[in-house]
Amino acid sequence: MNDPRGDPGAAIFTGSQDGACDDAGLLRRIGRGDEDAMAAFYREHGRVLLAQVLLVTGERVLAEEIVQDAMLAVWRGAGSFRGESSVRSWVIAIARRQTRDRLRGRRLRVVDDAFLADQPGSAPGPEVMALDRAELAEVMGAIRELAPAHREVLGLAFGSGLSLPEVAGVLEIPVGTVKSRLTAARAALNRILNEKGQNR
Amino acid sequence: MNTDPADTRYPHLDLGDLIAGAAGQPIGDRAREHLAGCERCRREANRWNIVAGGVRGLAAAAPAAAGPARPRRTGQRVLAGPWRRTLLAAGSAAAALVLLVGVGAVTGLVHVHLSGPGTQTALTAVTGCTQVEQADGTLEQVNGSSLVIQTASGQPVTVTTTAATFVSMSGALLGDITDGASVMVRGSSSGGTIEAAIVTVGQPFSAVNPAGFVPIQGMVADAGTAGFTLVTSTGARIPVTTSGDTLVVVPHASPGQLPAGVTIFAVGQAGPDGTLSATAVAAVLQLPSGPHIRESVKVKDCSPSSIEEALGAISAARVPAG
Repeated sequence: MNDPRGDPGAAIFTGSQDGACDDAGLLRRIGRGDEDAMAAFYREHGRVLLAQVLLVTGERVLAEEIVQDAMLAVWRGAGSFRGESSVRSWVIAIARRQTRDRLRGRRLRVVDDAFLADQPGSAPGPEVMALDRAELAEVMGAIRELAPAHREVLGLAFGSGLSLPEVAGVLEIPVGTVKSRLTAARAALNRILNEKGQNR
Repeated sequence: MNTDPADTRYPHLDLGDLIAGAAGQPIGDRAREHLAGCERCRREANRWNIVAGGVRGLAAAAPAAAGPARPRRTGQRVLAGPWRRTLLAAGSAAAALVLLVGVGAVTGLVHVHLSGPGTQTALTAVTGCTQVEQADGTLEQVNGSSLVIQTASGQPVTVTTTAATFVSMSGALLGDITDGASVMVRGSSSGGTIEAAIVTVGQPFSAVNPAGFVPIQGMVADAGTAGFTLVTSTGARIPVTTSGDTLVVVPHASPGQLPAGVTIFAVGQAGPDGTLSATAVAAVLQLPSGPHIRESVKVKDCSPSSIEEALGAISAARVPAG
């Protein structure tokens, strides 16, 4: 591979370039104890998994531990995959359960759906305008300030490569609730950005 | 899309389309067509794209915090042996990925260097916008809403587009000038006839105007191989001549319109799997007589609109002053 440092303008993106990687085949090999398959599985899903868990927990060390636990669960339970969902959503669901278990002792603030369904009005107000003006770094910072449930649904919808039905499957809620939760997450994001804008 | 003819309350894209579009998943042709003509939905799609961009930005930054996994206690377990080796190897690969993606971080200034036919064009830097990445090269293939770009170094880069991605195409596309099209013509005037240097087909009409040209807006009539009649809003009919050197810009192209082999620029966010989620894409078909131009196009800020404007300006940058 060429060294991109020789040409700082030439961005090179690596990683999975297509969907050719046969996830189900990898899981079968993992089930037989194939370490190379486990490494390939990690390369395929590890980064997305870590990003999602980190988005929810906000703690790097904890997120890494949860991903390791999830991967250990994959290593031990690859044979239990039934193909009823995509491998990506299956492993994310495993990590989600691990996250929930690890955070349970911390009394994670639970946001109920009544609050999450708090949708903004249809007319664009100042909060929408705040989002329109926001820089990427500001948006990233504001996402970090969202409630865990909002960060989670945004990460699943936009950072994990899952479809809305798959997101619903992972969260074990209807697709309509996923939509309302996303809408509420965006409204909350708008509010945070608007507050930051007023404080500048 | 809300396609129920009895439901006139909200004849726009539904939330599922907007979210799917921002997530880089395919949306239907009807939804795409609606988006092209609906300013309200484009604004809404852009807002979701901003949210999605923030999530992807965080995801792209996440591996930087993830070093190689190490043996540690997880409850009563100790990770060791083959499991440890597996995670160490995978962690190293992740770290290498971070390095590569990090090098492409960019910033506020798009440098466009065009030096004539047959020369590889290169988008060499955009500086000042953290988390915004760029890729350029030759379009190898189009798979639905995804593009595969072959970079100058030979690395393939998968670029995903959404309904909100600004996709522009420019070149000797005289066939796209058809009767009834809304166009902006830039060129030199002689004896009441405009010799067109640039014809932009459809909104938005770039604000970038090469020196010496006066932009005139109107509708196309009597389109032919050598030109057309521009009908202005006042009803004036102005003859316009075109040639193989007339640059035709299509600001709202679809990925499916882009031919393989075209030079292409893409700017957006790196996804967690190493693909580029594009905010804007500019495809440039080489004109028969490529001008020798060195041009820098500034990105005012790092917003999607300023990136779109910068990439849109790449087209006009190829035309010398009138």
